[in-house]
Formats: sequence, structure tokens, C-alpha cells
Amino acid sequence: MLNEDALRQLMATMLDVPLESIDADASMDTIPNWDSLRHMNLVLALEDEFEISIPDEDAGNITSYKLIKLVLEELLQAKD
Amino acid sequence: MENGLPTEREFDAELAILANPRSTMAELMRTINDLDVRANGRPVTVGLSASITADLLGVYLRRHGHLAGARVTFVAGNYDDPLGDQERFQDAPPDYLVLLPFFDNLHPSFEAQLECLAGDFIDATEDDLRARYRLLFERARHHKTIFLGTLHRISSPADPAGQDKVAKVIDRFNVALRTEAERFGNIRLIDCEDIVRTIGSAQAFDLRFYFRGKAPYAKAFLDEFARRVVSAARGFGAHFHKVLALDCDNTLWGGVVGEDLLEGIALGPHDYPGNVFWRMQHEFAALQANGVLLCLCSKNNAADVEEVLNRHPHMVLRSGRIVLKKVNWQDKPSNLRDIARELNVGLDSIVFVDDSPFECEAVRQQLPMVKTLQVPPTPSDYPRVADELKSLFLAGGVSADSLRKTEQYRQRAEAEEFRSQFASQEEYLTSLALTVNLSRDAQASAERISELSQKSNQFNLTTRRYAVADIQQMMASPQHTVYSLVVADRFGNAGLTGVAVVRYESDLAHVDNFFMSCRVIGRGVESAIWPAIVADASARGCKELRAEFIPSAKNQQVANFFDGLGFERLADSTAQITRYTAAIDRNAFTPPPWIRVTYVE
Repeated sequence: MLNEDALRQLMATMLDVPLESIDADASMDTIPNWDSLRHMNLVLALEDEFEISIPDEDAGNITSYKLIKLVLEELLQAKD
Repeated sequence: MENGLPTEREFDAELAILANPRSTMAELMRTINDLDVRANGRPVTVGLSASITADLLGVYLRRHGHLAGARVTFVAGNYDDPLGDQERFQDAPPDYLVLLPFFDNLHPSFEAQLECLAGDFIDATEDDLRARYRLLFERARHHKTIFLGTLHRISSPADPAGQDKVAKVIDRFNVALRTEAERFGNIRLIDCEDIVRTIGSAQAFDLRFYFRGKAPYAKAFLDEFARRVVSAARGFGAHFHKVLALDCDNTLWGGVVGEDLLEGIALGPHDYPGNVFWRMQHEFAALQANGVLLCLCSKNNAADVEEVLNRHPHMVLRSGRIVLKKVNWQDKPSNLRDIARELNVGLDSIVFVDDSPFECEAVRQQLPMVKTLQVPPTPSDYPRVADELKSLFLAGGVSADSLRKTEQYRQRAEAEEFRSQFASQEEYLTSLALTVNLSRDAQASAERISELSQKSNQFNLTTRRYAVADIQQMMASPQHTVYSLVVADRFGNAGLTGVAVVRYESDLAHVDNFFMSCRVIGRGVESAIWPAIVADASARGCKELRAEFIPSAKNQQVANFFDGLGFERLADSTAQITRYTAAIDRNAFTPPPWIRVTYVE
């Protein structure tokens, strides 16, 4: 099961923003700090933290909290 | 936790996270961000000019920086624009610069294209690479140190022999880069091919982000690259190891000579485990050949150890390679203190190797500044210690002058023995036939001068350190003179062992720094050069010579140096800095009569 607190905490750290700004609607459009470089680091950090490997087609596209959550839940389920 | 400096426990816990290879990226980021704000490390700036995107390197440079006690500010240049980066960095040039060209991106998917490309196109690419980097190196002269990553491949060769066209072209291009880099004293190479070999191609690259965002390197590569950069920069100036102090039993040979006797110890080229110790002795000898001072530090009967040194057929480290032996029944910390005192080096420049966990712990507790390495209990693990030693002593580079150090230190020790035969110190000094060859702005010695400025601690009046580029700049500038002195006596030539940097400003001549190697102190050389400096300043029309003493943890022995020469203290002196003045006239300083000073241009 996805630990959403851990996810929000990690996104805040990697995007260098306060935890409050990571809400359900957070995305590359609402968070100015979320540029392509930080996005790459975010993907790498997600893989580290949740011990998964995000496939190429998703890596570039998961640019919002909702999409990240969706992909992570799928990957975690497949792992179990 | 939120405010102020971290407690020692918090600090240790955070460093443990950074040191742990299994820490996740988010853990690293949190810890690094916290340490950046609250740790008290030396500030260092590192710039990156890469022909791909590798901004993530910053995270790992900061990681390894904190582990070495430095707080790294990382500035990434633009994508594939190293020359433009130089202009962008101009206002605040980073202390260190990392250059990371990328072979496969010299042209799009260059490796894949290569087989079908015409020879003259490849030649033209090489010429262009060479010309661009030559210009870049010229413009980047002012950086303290430049780390240049060598070119490497991202694909594997299909030919089992490995020497396919990609390999051949990469070799050629690397030779071109190396040749250009060799002309500059401030460029150090980082062997990227070796990093890929070490961590494996699958760990090194992340092609997802290469094709999307020109970011080919995976975390493991950048982590290892950063580790090697920090190691090559000697922890960003944190340490400069000079002395290797070795235990004997179970360190130089297997077994205990006092019990197993000469015939019973394990040492030799063929049989296990003697072959491991024999190999290690060759490693130690190689370090010595590169300028490392070897000492013995062993609880033993001196005669037993001498017997092995002189009579064991397979002993590699004979007495000639060893500068000092402390073979007695004193505790190791006392012996290490004696070694530091007798060689006139700081304890933090000593690396100590011993097989006994008890001895290692005693040294770690009492002399934490000594770097202590324990011989692993399994002999076949021992060669790994050699790799660590090489990285401690050699990763920062060795200059030619350092190579002759054992010889020079031994000359000094012989001179000590010679001393007692004379009625007065002055009589003895006269008998030495000391000569000082003084040079002004000796371009060819810039590297050695910079090295000495980094290494000398005790005889260093302001502890201002100079990069090779700083020295070259001051040599070229009419506002500065860089004096360097080479001391010789009847026992030999001590090499370039002293430097004075003087800055001129209207009718004032400022001594920016004066530092000497400890191996020539106590013979009057330190006062012999001042008449020459005064004469030069006078010829320029200067009326006054100014100087400063800035106390450090290590330079107490020169706290009154300028007082001794006859300078007067200025009223604006503080505890942090003592300011001095001396009028410039012909008789300002009297040189010691036993030294002959000559100018060498």
C-alpha cells in the first residue's frame, strides 16, 4: 500500500518546496520549482524510496501528484 | 534541532547517513540540505561545464564534500557550452571546475554513426575538440584546479577483442585531450573509463534520461565521479598526507619476528601468505618512490627488526627506503608524536598501519588526527589497504620535487649528527657552506611553489594558500614579486624550500606571505633573504615594508618571526592579525654571515 505521507515528504524534499504545497492538485504547472531537472531527480528518488523501476514511458509523463500516485500504486501492486 | 549548529551526535548521525552507500536519494537530499545550512564546513565552490546534463553531480559533490568537512556550493553551467560558461562564471569564478565532455554526444549518437563516417569527418571532429578545449583551458587558467573527465563509451564492443572503431577513436580523442591538458598545471584528469569499468556499464548509465533530456549518467556514476574528484582535491584541501608509519609484525611480514625468528616469518614472492606481505612491501616501496616518507612504528626489539631488514632474503623495504625507525617498547601514540616532531610534520599528515585492533584503537582515541588503517585479518583482503593508501597519498598528485624527499630528509638527519662536533652553532653553520639561490618570478617553479604553499603549516606567516594559477598570475603582474629560494649545503640540495610573496602599492611593499619547508629551518635562511627583498623594494621607490602574522592552529613557532627580524608592531594589530612595519633603507636587515645569497634569474 502506498504511504502517501512518505510520498508527499519525498516530493517536497526533491522539489525543494514546503510540504504544504504538495496537495492533491500539485503538478508541474502549479509548482514553479518543478522543472525538468528536478523531475528527473524526483523519478530517481521515487525508485530508490519505493524500490521500484519506473518504465521509460511513465518516467517523463508523471508530472502531477495524481499521476505519480496512480503509477506508484500500480507498480507497488505488481510487486506484491 | 532546527536552530544553530548541530550537536555532535546529530552531526555524527548525519555524516553516517552520507557515508552509507545504501542511503536513499531523499535521505541524502534532506541530510545534505540540513548540513548545508547548519554545518560549519569550509566553503568551497565547484562549477560544472558538461556537454550533457549532469546537474545531479552537485548532490554527490556536496555529499562527499561534507564527508571531507567542506560545504560545497555547486554551480552548473549551461548545456554543452563550456566556453560560454567561462564567461558566465567570470564574476564569481568557482574554486574548482569540473569539465565533462561526452563522446557519444560530440555528434548525435556519435558511437552508432562512427562505423559509417568518413575518416576526414572524424579527423575534423578531433581537430575541433582539440581546438575548443585548448581555448577553454587557456580561459580557465584562474581556477584553482580543473578536473577533466576523460571520454568513454556507452555501448559495448561487439568484437571480443574490444578494439573496435569506437574504442580506437576514443583512444585517439583522449590522447588529444590529454596532450592539450598537459600544458596546464591546474588540470587533473578523472579517468571515466575506469569508473564505468569499476561500477559496470549497467549501473553507470540511465538511457531513459539520455534520450529524453541528454542526461546519460545514473546516480552510481555521478556518485563515484564526485568521490574521485573530492579525493583528487585532497578533500578540498582538508588533508595532505606525507608520512606512512608502519607496524612490523603481521604488517610488513606474517608472524612475529620475536617468536618465529628470522626464518619463521612469512615473506616472499611465492608462498601464501608470505606473498601477500611481499606484495604489500612493493606497494609501500612504490609509495616511497613517489615521495611518501616511510617510518617504522613497532613494539619490538630493535635488533630483531634490524636483522630482518638486513638479512631476510625477501625483504623489500631495506633501511635505505625508511626515513625513521621507532622500534621500541613505547606506546604507539608516543612513537607517532616523536615521528611528527623529528620529521617536523603535523600529526595530521601521518597515516598509520597496524594489524592490532588494540593499537589502532589506542591511536584513534589519543591521536584522532592520525589516519589509522587496520590490516584486515584475512591476508587476501590486505591489498585493498594498498588501494586506500594510494588514494590517500597519490590521488592529489605528486610533483617531481616531492619524489626526492626521503633523500633530503635523510641528509637533514645526517646533518643533525654532524652538529655536535663544533664549538658554537655559528661555527657549525659556517662549516655547512650554506648557499641560497634566490629567484624572482620563476615561472618553471609555479607548481612547486603552489604545492609548498598548500603543505607548509608551521613556518607559514599568514597561511594564505596559492593555487598554481594564483602564482602564475602574480608572477606576471608588475605589482607582485614571487621570491623562491633553493637552499643547498655541503650535504646536498634541499630543493625549492621557501617562498616570499611581495605586493607593491605606491611607496609600500607588503609581504603577502612568507613560508618555508620545515626541513631547512634553524640555519638562518629565513633571515638571509630580507636584504635582497628590501633592495628590490627600494629600487622601486618603496619607503616602507609591511608584513603580517596571522595565527593558525599550527604556526605558533613563527609568532615572533617579524619581531626577531627587527620589524615594529603597528598599533592596529589584533589577536587575529599582527601587523608590522619596517623602514626601507640600506641597513634594514643584517644577513647572517654564514649564508651566501645569490640571484638566479
